[in-house]
Parts: sequence; C-alpha cells; structure tokens
Amino acid sequence: MSGHGFLLANYVPGGSPVHRSPLWLKFLLVLACGMASFLIADWAVSACVLVLLCGVFLLSGAGAARLVRAVRPVLPVLAAIGLFQWWQLGGPTAARIVLNVLVCVVAASILTATTPVQELLDGVASLARPFRRFGADPERFALTIAIMLRSIPFVAGAYADVRNSARARGLERNPRALVLPVFITSVAFARQTGEALAARGLGDAEDQGS
Amino acid sequence: MSIILDRVAVRVAVDGRPAPKILLDELSLELVERRIGVIGANGSGKSTLLRLLNGLVAPSSGNVTVAGYDTVRSVRDVRRRVGFVFTDPLSQLVMPTGREDVELSLRRSVRNPRERRALAESALARFGLLALADQSIYELSGGERQLLALAAVLAVDPAVLVLDEPSTLLDLRNRELLRRTIAGLSQQVILSTHDLELARDMDRVLVLDAGKVVFDGAPDDAVAQYRALCTAGLELPAGEQK
Amino acid sequence: MTQTGNVVPEKVTTAKKRRASWNATDLGLIAVFAALVAGSALIAAVPVGGLGVPITVQTLAVMLTGLALGPGRAFSAVGLYVLLGLAGLPIFSGGRSGLGILAGPSAGYIIGFPLAAAAVGWLAAVVLRRTAGRSGKIRAVLLFAAAMVSSIIFVHALGILGMMVNAKLSLPAAFLADLAYYPGDVIKNVLAVTIALSLHRAFPDLLLRRVRTAPAGPASAHP
Repeated sequence: MSGHGFLLANYVPGGSPVHRSPLWLKFLLVLACGMASFLIADWAVSACVLVLLCGVFLLSGAGAARLVRAVRPVLPVLAAIGLFQWWQLGGPTAARIVLNVLVCVVAASILTATTPVQELLDGVASLARPFRRFGADPERFALTIAIMLRSIPFVAGAYADVRNSARARGLERNPRALVLPVFITSVAFARQTGEALAARGLGDAEDQGS
Repeated sequence: MSIILDRVAVRVAVDGRPAPKILLDELSLELVERRIGVIGANGSGKSTLLRLLNGLVAPSSGNVTVAGYDTVRSVRDVRRRVGFVFTDPLSQLVMPTGREDVELSLRRSVRNPRERRALAESALARFGLLALADQSIYELSGGERQLLALAAVLAVDPAVLVLDEPSTLLDLRNRELLRRTIAGLSQQVILSTHDLELARDMDRVLVLDAGKVVFDGAPDDAVAQYRALCTAGLELPAGEQK
Repeated sequence: MTQTGNVVPEKVTTAKKRRASWNATDLGLIAVFAALVAGSALIAAVPVGGLGVPITVQTLAVMLTGLALGPGRAFSAVGLYVLLGLAGLPIFSGGRSGLGILAGPSAGYIIGFPLAAAAVGWLAAVVLRRTAGRSGKIRAVLLFAAAMVSSIIFVHALGILGMMVNAKLSLPAAFLADLAYYPGDVIKNVLAVTIALSLHRAFPDLLLRRVRTAPAGPASAHP
C-alpha cells in the first residue's frame, strides 16, 4: 500500500451519463434508496428496483465484475439473514429484506464507482460549510482530511515494521507488542505533523494570534 | 532582517524533579548575518534555539523578536517571515502529493486558485520537482522529499529560513545538492547541523553546550572549538579502544 | 523523542482563547488517529493466545483512541474515519466502504464507534484525573470498566438496533447474534487499557496536563 493508490480502489474512470451527473444527484439516489428500503413492502418491487439499479451500474461502463465485487462482501451475512428470516417470517418477507439491503449497496456503489475520490472528499469537506456560523472551519476540516489520507500509508508502514521487528524478537503472538509501538510512533508522528503545521502558519484557528 | 534574543531562557518542568530542567540559559544574541550556523552535541539546545525563532517554543523568560515582532504576541507575523524546515521531511509534508503541499503553503497568502496553482508550479520548477509534483510523497527519495519541503516553505517567500539539521537524513550526494541549494538562496539562513562541511559554508557559527553559547564567531574557529569540546573527557576503557 | 514535559508557562497570553479551539497539534492527533483506526481495520487480524483465534484490531483502535485522546478529539477522529468510510474510501474492515454500509446489518456498530470513543474518552479523563498517584492496578480496573460500559451502551446496543432495523431481526435474535462479539470485545478492551496506560506513560501530557506554552502546542524539546 504505497502512496494513496489504494484510494482509487472503487473509482472507474469514464464519461458515461452516470459519471457526468452531479454529485448531489447521485447522493440523492443513494438517500432515496435508503428511504425506499423502509417503505417497499413487496419483494417484487424490490427486485425490480434492484434490476433497474444494476442496469444503471452497467450503463456507467464499470462492468459486471465490479458490480459483483461491490456486492460480494455482504453476501455471506445476507445469506445467513435470508435463511434465518425465511424460517422466521416466510419466503416473501425474507426476500424483501435481503433485496432491500442489496438495493442500497448497489446504489452506493454507483456513487463510488463513478465519482473520483477527490470529488467525494471535496463533497464531504463542503458539508462543513453550512455550519460555519456555528464555528466550523471548512478549510481546517479539509486540511484534517488531507492529513488523515497521507497518514494511512504511514500507519500501514508502522504496522509492517512492528510486525517484522516483533517476529525478529519472537513476539509475533503478543498482540501488545504488535499494537503498542504502532500507537507510540503514530502519536510522535502526529505531534511532529502538528508542529510542522504550526511552523507554516497552518492549522491554527483563524481568529487566533495577533 | 534582524532577529534579537533578549535574555532568553527556556526551562522545562520534569515529572518527579523539583527543579525545572534548563534547555537554554539566559541567551542574548543579535542575528543579522546572512548565513548563521549552530553546532553542538545532541541535547545542547540547538533545536530549542531554532524553534524559538519561529515561535514553536516560547521563552520561559526574556523575549525573542523578528524584525520587531515578538514571537509570542505576534506569532502570525513572525511565521509569515520565518520559514522552518524540519530534519525529517515526512513529518513536514502534510499533503499526499508535492503539488498539494506547495499549494497548501500558499493557501493563506494567495486566494485565487488559478494564481495559486501557477505559483506552486513555479516553486516546484525552481527545484526541478515539477515532474514529481503529482507523485505520492512516500514514493519520493529522501533527497527529493527534502527539496520538496524546502520548495513548499520557500513558496511563500519568507525573509528568513530556519533549517533544523537539514542534512542529517541525507546521503552524501544529496547533502552536496542541499549545500549548493542553500548557498544559492537569497534568504537569510539559520541552520543547525552535525555536518561540519555545511557549517563551514556559514558566515557565523554558534557553538552550543548545555544550553549556553560557548563560542560565537568564524566557522573554522567554531569547528575547532567544537572538536575540542567533543573529545574532552572522552576516555574509553582501554580494552574497547579501536 | 524526549517529550519530557512542558515548558514552564511564564507568559500565558492567549491560553484561554486557545482552549476553546483545537490547535495544530490537536488537528494532527485527530487526523493520525483517524488513520490509525483505518489502518487497524485494514491490516490482517492479530492471532491471539495459544489457539491463534484471529481478531481484528479495529474496535481495539476505536477504544484506544478514546482512552488516549479524551472525548472531543476522539469523537472527531473516529467520526472522521466513519464519515470518510461512508463517503467511499475503502477503510472499513475487509476494505468495505460507502453509504451501502448503512443498509447492512453492521450499520449500528459503525455508528456506535464514534459515540463509544467519546464515552470512554470522557470516562478515562475522569478516571485518570481522580486516580492520579494511585496504584496502576486501580487505574487499569477502572479504565477497563469504563471501556466495557462504553462499548456495551454504544457499540453493542446500537449494533443490536442496527440488526433489528436492517435485517429485521427480533430483539432476542439480534441479542443472541451480538453475544458472539463479547469474548473478543473483552480481550480487546483489556488490551486497549494496557496499551493506553503505556501510551500515557510515554506521553504524560497527551490527555492530562494539556498546558500550552506556544501556539504550536506542547513544546517538544528535541535535543
């Protein structure tokens, strides 16, 4: 996991109508599916919506393999829930519950497959804007997000280093020896980062100082 | 630009000890030369001295002023004028890529995004880093990272550049590159180092020992003084001498 | 790393004003702890004990964030992690991400994380302040109790609620499904407390004694 290439894991570049539609519209779609999953009472309707959304996903050109990959992580637990609810509540209800979850998962995947990560993050950062009058600072929020992203490879690297040195000392089965050093180096790293931010005149609240 | 330290002391309270530990002891200095070096052993107070100049450390008593601005009361004005480069560029570069990091430096001073982008590009180009602008900072070499940290700090054009052991993590070739880069800067430079070659490039060198300036003057004399200080009292047990 | 203590503040100029908002060091800690939770969710599980049953260290990292940073900063750090995961970064356990998580059966657990981190952070600050100078054992026991209470009230209760809402499980069924997480949770909370105590020994001013001298936060005295 060098760099932050892993962040591109979900995005599939393209120029489809789905790609070109604005972020808020795609977000509304996800939201609407979330609401609908509480309202839809008939499993056949859920199935239709699911087919429709899969169609939209494929229309974006992201490909069937991506669709499968997006859904696969939830399948085992959905299978378990489906079987359990079939026994408890009967076939149609179990199908509706499982299909509704799938609807939401596919809708969310459409959003992440067709929106570049940077645009998603800008979207998140802009969430702070309406709260500015209550003391929120969108710039500091965006800065914190950026620092977090650049720190993930550091943390991953720290875990790898610590695992190796624990192995060298025969401590690879000691969870404390595996986790504590990562947190210690990370706190030191966080402090250096804070100091570097301050030295560059960044990160402190706007109203502070002279 | 004139930097004045007036009877500055820095003391640290340590758990379980009644008296505070003294990091810097009643220092009075006027720093006006274009190239100033600070040398001294680990723990002699070099980093603390440099951090005072940018307001990262506040004096426990006395005061520090940069071009008339107090580093505690007008910390913002001070930081606009004093750029700071850390030993480890990875702790200094806060954004995932070089371009973003340089643009971050410019965020306060340049409001127009297009103008900011152009300025960032010219800052990167100055150090030959434009081709690496969109690479992750983790994919750069140590030398490239240190240059990038320098580029990001210089992008806002500070009058003074403070560097804390800038060559410690570099190999010989990158050290040489850094020396030449520093020599070509128009800024006033104040740096700490263990690299005596780099110290010799300075106009004035301070030797610190246990929080006190024990020598202040020409580089060659300072280095000689430092060597004498380091070897005094160094007596290895007979069996372990090489 | 010689974070030995704080520079004696003889010139406290804007200390009060600064207390109201976080400084650059706090931002760094929030961002890096959010990255720690993400990194802990992504790395392979740690084998525990002789049986080698693997556990993920994600919930460990969540509770540890609370124990290390106190309520406000811990809530922000874990909240940032959850927010970015929901926005689509593949940082939930198993590399999952996106708003779809909110529809799944684990939604309640993920929503519970920032709340549990804040709760244990608040309790930890109280415990550490009240037990200053007492034996380490009392501190450890109280911190463990704080971690268990926080995770039962927020992680487990919301987890059960999430399974009831999204998977339409009945309360007894959801309760039974949730019970499976308890043994791992007890182990992780014990670990979190021992690690947190070591962390506070390494950085005595991380949570308590957050006295500031310079706007940069605690003056680090790198020699």
